[in-house]
Amino acid sequence: MNAPDRWLRDGSATSWQPPIAQLIEDNPNARQRYRMRGNHLVRHSVYSNRNEEKIEVKEDTRVPSTTIFTFNKEDHTLGNLISQRLHKYPYILFSAYKVPHPLFAMFELRVTTDGSITPREAVTKCCADVVRDLDVLQQSFTTEWLGKRIVTEGEAERQARDQNPN
Amino acid sequence: MSRSQPHHSPAPSRPHPPPSDAHRSLCANTSAIRSTVKHLRDQTVSLAKPRSRSTRMDPYDVEGGAINVRFLHADSVRAHFIIQNFNLETANALRRVMLAEIPTMAIDVVEVMDNTSVLADEFVCHRLGLIPLIAKGVEDLLYSRDCDCEGYCEQCAVVLTLNAKCTGRDIMKVFARDLVVSAGRPNEDVGNPVIVDPERQGSSIVKLRKGQAIHMRCIAKKGIAKEHAKWAPSAAIGFEYDPANKLHHLDYWYEDDPKEEWPVDHDRINLDGGAPTEDEAFNYDAVPSRFFFDVETVGGLDPDQIVAEGIKTLQRKLAGVIQQLQGGGDGADGADFGGAQSPTLNGGYGAAPDQGYTTPYGGNASVWGGANAAAGGTTPYGATPYGGGPSW
Ligand SMILES: [Zn+2]
Repeated sequence: MNAPDRWLRDGSATSWQPPIAQLIEDNPNARQRYRMRGNHLVRHSVYSNRNEEKIEVKEDTRVPSTTIFTFNKEDHTLGNLISQRLHKYPYILFSAYKVPHPLFAMFELRVTTDGSITPREAVTKCCADVVRDLDVLQQSFTTEWLGKRIVTEGEAERQARDQNPN
Repeated sequence: MSRSQPHHSPAPSRPHPPPSDAHRSLCANTSAIRSTVKHLRDQTVSLAKPRSRSTRMDPYDVEGGAINVRFLHADSVRAHFIIQNFNLETANALRRVMLAEIPTMAIDVVEVMDNTSVLADEFVCHRLGLIPLIAKGVEDLLYSRDCDCEGYCEQCAVVLTLNAKCTGRDIMKVFARDLVVSAGRPNEDVGNPVIVDPERQGSSIVKLRKGQAIHMRCIAKKGIAKEHAKWAPSAAIGFEYDPANKLHHLDYWYEDDPKEEWPVDHDRINLDGGAPTEDEAFNYDAVPSRFFFDVETVGGLDPDQIVAEGIKTLQRKLAGVIQQLQGGGDGADGADFGGAQSPTLNGGYGAAPDQGYTTPYGGNASVWGGANAAAGGTTPYGATPYGGGPSW
C-alpha cells in the first residue's frame, strides 16, 4: 500500500498525524537513505531494488477503463513525458501524474481511455512512439553535428592561415 | 560521497570473480532492453507529426514537419542547437536525463595513507570527488553495487593513486595530472583525469610546502548525477523555447512597462519565426515546437556524446516501461530502466535469479524476442482498433 493511502485510511482528519519518521524507516522509496551491501552504499531513492515492482499496475474499480500506474524510483522525467504525451491520442480521456510526497521516489500515473484500448496498451504505445521520435532526433543530431564540426574546424583553420601566411 | 578512511593500508587487489547468475540475469535484462530499442528503431518512420504551429513554409525548417536538428555552434566543449518540430515534454525529459541520468565516472571512495598538507583529509577527498574523469567507455564497467566483488574490483572501478611530496624550497602544486591510473582497466580511456588546459596540468588539488606529503588511493566508480552531482556530465544545459513569449507561458514582472524593462534576444526571436505583430490575435491552440539547447561538457564526455547518451538513456527507460507493461507486470521487477540495478534488501543475489528476467523477453512468446511484430499478429495489439497501423 502506498504511504499516502495509509495515512488517509488510518482515522479521521482530527486524529491525523504525519508519521513521517516511521514511514521513512519502513519505506524503501524514502530519500537520502543508503543501505550497505558489502562495502557498497546503495541509495534507495535512485536505484531500484528487487523487492519491489518497478511499475505497479492497479485498476480503478470506480471508473471504467482507468488504471493507476505506480512507477517506483522514477520522477518527473517520465511522469511528465508520459502523461503529457498521452494527451495527444484521441482515445485518452484523462491522463495525469503526481508525486505524492517528495521524500518518496515514485510517481503515480492515472490514465483513463475511451475503452477502445486499455490504459496499459495506451501507455505502452505512447512509450514506443517516443522511442521512435528519439531515433529520428538522434539521426538528425548526428548528421548536423558532424556537418557543423567540419565547418567550425574549417573556419578555425582559415583564420590561422590568414593570421600567419607563409 | 567521498569517505575518508585515514591511515588505512591499501586494500589488497582482488582477483576477478566469475560472473554470477545475478550478473548474467542483469546482462540478459539489459540486452533485452537494448533489443527493444533496436526493434523500435527498425520500425522506420516516425508516427509523430507534432502539430506544427502553422502550415506556412518556414525558412528555417527545411525538413518540413519532421523532427530535425539545426546547429548554431559546435566545438569540443559545447553543442548549441535547435530541435525543430519537437514537443515540450520530450524536450524537457531529454534535458532532465542529460542533467541527471547519464552514467559517468567520479572518485567515490578515498583511502588516505598520508596527508600532511594544510587541508583536512575530508576536504581533499571532497576535491578529489569533484575532479572530472573521462567517461568514454564507461559502458565497459559495471556499477559497483551490481558487481559481485567486496568493495571494488577491475570490473567496476578504476583506482587512481596520488602520491606527492614536496622536497624543494618552492611551494609544490599537486594537479589532476599527478593521479596515476591503475592498470587493468577495461579500456584505455575510462577514469583518466580530464586535462584540457594548454599546460596539461588538469584540476588543481592541493599545494604542499617543504616536507609536506600526500598519499591517497582514490577509487573511481561509475554513477549518475541523480545520486551525486559529481557524476554530472554537463556543466550546464541551456534550455529555452518561445523566446518572444508568444505563447504567454511567462508572465513578466514589471514596474511600468515590461517591454521597456526586459531585454529582448532578437537573434533567437528571429530563429523562432520572428517577433509577433502588435495586433496579432492570441492563438489558443499554439504549442511550442522549437527548442534551443546549449549543452556544455565538464570534459568527461564530448558534448555530442552527452546528447547521444541522453537520448539512449531515455530510450532505454521507455523500453523498460514497455517491457514491464508487456510482461504482465511480473516482468523485470526491480530492474532499473537504465540498466542500473541494486541488489535485494535482504542479502544480495540469491542463487536463482528472478524468473521474470528470462520469461517475458527471452522466450519466443515475447513480442520483442519473437519473429518481429511487423506481422501484427504476434502483438497484443493485433486485435485492437488501432492495430491496423504499424503495430510498433
Ligand atoms: Zn567489482
